[in-house]
Amino acid sequence: MTILASAPSAIRQYRHLTLVLALAAIVTVSLVRVFTDQSRMTTPGTLRLALIAACPILLAGLGGLWAERAGIVNIGLEGQMLLGTWGAAFFAYHFGAWVGVLGALLMGALGGLLHAVATITFGVDHIISGVAINIAGLGAVGYLAQTFFTDLDGGGPRNLSGYAVPTEVTIPGISDGARWVSEQRWFLISDVAAAVAGVTTRLSLLTILAVALVAVTAWVLWRTPFGLRLRSCGENPQAAETLGVNVYRYKYIAVLISGAFAGLGGAYLAMVASSSFTTGQTNGRGYIGLASMIFGNWNPTGVLASSLMFGYADGVSLLSDNGPLVHALLLLLSLILLGYAALKYVGGERVTGLVVALIAVALLVWYLAVDSVPSDFTGMTPYVLTLFVLAVASQRLRMPAASGKSYRRGQAG
Amino acid sequence: MHVELRGIEKRFPGVVANHDVDLTIRPGAVHALIGENGAGKSTLMKILYGVQAPDGGTIVVDGAERRFASPTDAIDTGIGMVFQHFMLADNLTVLENVVLGAEKLHGIGESARSRVREICEAYGFELDPDALVATLGVAARQRVEILKVLYRGASLIILDEPTAVLVPHEVEALFANLRDLVASGRSVLFISHKLDEVLDIADDITVMRRGTTVGTADPRSATKHELAELMVGAELPSPDLSEDTVTDVPILALRGVALASDGGRRLLDDVDLTVHRGEIVGIAGVEGNGQTELVEVIMGMRRATSGTITLAEEDITRLATRKVRERGVGFIPEDRHRHGVVLDFPLWENRILGHQTKRPVTRGPLLNPGGAREDAERIVAEYDVRTPSVHTSARALSGGNQQKFIVGREMSGDPVLLVASHPTRGVDVGAQAAIWDHIRRARHDGLGVLLISADLDELIGLSDRLEVILRGRITAHFDPDDVSAQDLGAAMTGGAA
Repeated sequence: MTILASAPSAIRQYRHLTLVLALAAIVTVSLVRVFTDQSRMTTPGTLRLALIAACPILLAGLGGLWAERAGIVNIGLEGQMLLGTWGAAFFAYHFGAWVGVLGALLMGALGGLLHAVATITFGVDHIISGVAINIAGLGAVGYLAQTFFTDLDGGGPRNLSGYAVPTEVTIPGISDGARWVSEQRWFLISDVAAAVAGVTTRLSLLTILAVALVAVTAWVLWRTPFGLRLRSCGENPQAAETLGVNVYRYKYIAVLISGAFAGLGGAYLAMVASSSFTTGQTNGRGYIGLASMIFGNWNPTGVLASSLMFGYADGVSLLSDNGPLVHALLLLLSLILLGYAALKYVGGERVTGLVVALIAVALLVWYLAVDSVPSDFTGMTPYVLTLFVLAVASQRLRMPAASGKSYRRGQAG
Repeated sequence: MHVELRGIEKRFPGVVANHDVDLTIRPGAVHALIGENGAGKSTLMKILYGVQAPDGGTIVVDGAERRFASPTDAIDTGIGMVFQHFMLADNLTVLENVVLGAEKLHGIGESARSRVREICEAYGFELDPDALVATLGVAARQRVEILKVLYRGASLIILDEPTAVLVPHEVEALFANLRDLVASGRSVLFISHKLDEVLDIADDITVMRRGTTVGTADPRSATKHELAELMVGAELPSPDLSEDTVTDVPILALRGVALASDGGRRLLDDVDLTVHRGEIVGIAGVEGNGQTELVEVIMGMRRATSGTITLAEEDITRLATRKVRERGVGFIPEDRHRHGVVLDFPLWENRILGHQTKRPVTRGPLLNPGGAREDAERIVAEYDVRTPSVHTSARALSGGNQQKFIVGREMSGDPVLLVASHPTRGVDVGAQAAIWDHIRRARHDGLGVLLISADLDELIGLSDRLEVILRGRITAHFDPDDVSAQDLGAAMTGGAA
């Protein structure tokens, strides 16, 4: 039998393509920014907001990735994140910022443990268990907040503020310089400078931790025996079993880590994205994290890229008076889809290409027909984008082969 | 390594899978374990590899008694196993699959990679350690499995029906590898029910029947005939045709049929094919060369990108599956669990599936459970399906009995064409003979059969005409009366033998 393609050369080619596409994307953004005169599209402030909005999605997405790489679908991310928000607020209030972070990790892991016991030990359907955790998480957090926060100074039955949060750092020379360049509104250069300024100004240590966890996840899962064993449980647990891997143990570890990551995402929401706790603060970000994991093709870097995109949409939806800005983004989206359609068409998938092109044209018509997008709609941006992106991308994605399937020991062979 | 199994016993609820099993494996020899499907070979192997624990008996390795609680124990003792259904993760590379579970030996990086290369070189395996397993063919996957076992330094290698998925020249390459392994002092336990191969490769032979070892044989003096009698207590069935019933009335005709995948790859390309009344046309090919797609296009499960398909002069190219079936096409699917039966339905409900618009299982727009039960009972009797009753769920039946029931159902209602994918796969010798008989009888009555099979003996013996499919094209025609398995194998792989 012949070997079709060796992996390294395929990966090299893939990286090359990614680089070209990323460059094309930056140029397009810059062009649209200049053309529509919506400078807010790439100010340091907007991009900083986008990064802050992206991190909880990123952490939830990475959490989902850990679980699914071991074959467990963790749709309970939302509930585990909620538990994390409460854990962060409670422990930070009483013991300081970093104990708060630790508390969020533990609360999230607790939610993960629940999911693990249900799905791994008792073989409950992963979706059902996850949904149960989301509902139970919401109820538990409401109860815990009412019980523990009502009588605190700065607290109430549904909220808490006034606790310590992780330090924010600004890198002195670079931040100011980049900010100045970004204000010159030069084509391309200013946009890149805005991104630099966005990540060097008032950067929370928790943000650095979140981005570092992308590298840690990639390293542990792909460069260590532990990671290999964990991934084998998500691809073919029976095979792993015949080679002496304790599949149950790795699945448990993976789901615990998954819950802890989601909990950390919750901490981020309660400590960086805002400095106070509110019941139900996650607002569906666990689900968007799951979407970013899928769109990121179950890869850490992919999850990072897609959460930045979702985070940008989320950040824009939080800006005040964002109707004209979202309107400008319609043009951007339309152009990106046109490019995608052209790639598809040339690649031989004519029908897909034509359908996507049609959608792009419809967006363009919408852009030309109105001057601003109504505010009711702008809040929906991240969710609509999720649907869009997954509908367009879903054919190319490949999930771990045994993800979501129940596993019982002793069925190999 | 000297391995002795003494008095092994294993019970499952309601069945005794193994009892009084005695087996002695010498070092430096190929030991063949033969027996019909369901004779208990696979259970015995799982016990020896620690996947399942025996209820009684002892395993003695080099004089010391051993208990294997999990495969890890067996691996540590030096036993490795190549499963019939490969235990590989498609999305991991060859290297990752090999080092999984044995990371302590050489890590998972460069030194592991060079060790894998060394073994590949020593045994002539042409494998790229960084290739994804998903890109490999069946023979290469099997080599990855053997590589896994060798990497762990196993001195006894168990191979469960390793030749079932290989074409003849791949079998030869495998046997050459096995001889190399034995020459280097390892032992091989070779499980099979193909007697020719066993006589070719084995140094010792042990025969199992109904869960127990019934005898041993010396391959230098034993004949196929004797082994067969030991295995089944009766003569081997042969798929030969006796009379010529081929007519010149075409029942199924494909003209220039092509099928493109979503990515534009040609799964079927310009296929021309005719099946006449009373004729069995065999399709030979390595799995994955378009057989599945060919069947799906004919059955209306997928629509041909171009070309026409006619059934008894009616164009059925764009008909839905139900309409195709209503016109008298019986279909034995390749994977009976995915397409043939609903495992948790009782037999009489399974009788209705696929015939839900036809008598006697329906009465007008409603189902007719009484009629379905009666007809299911007819099938059970005529096709010798071993089941307590037609109310038993299909899951409770053995694979062979499920298959006989499917054949019986598909022969119901006097079909004009039978599309049979691997009709006797995973079926024991007795049931195989029965299924062949039924197909032959239907052919006599004017049924046209399109037969797809991986069993070359079945193809050559049963077909009136053979077509070879390679990469979605019909590339060669053979007359089964004067073709050898070697020639056919060469044509199937597109190379010279």
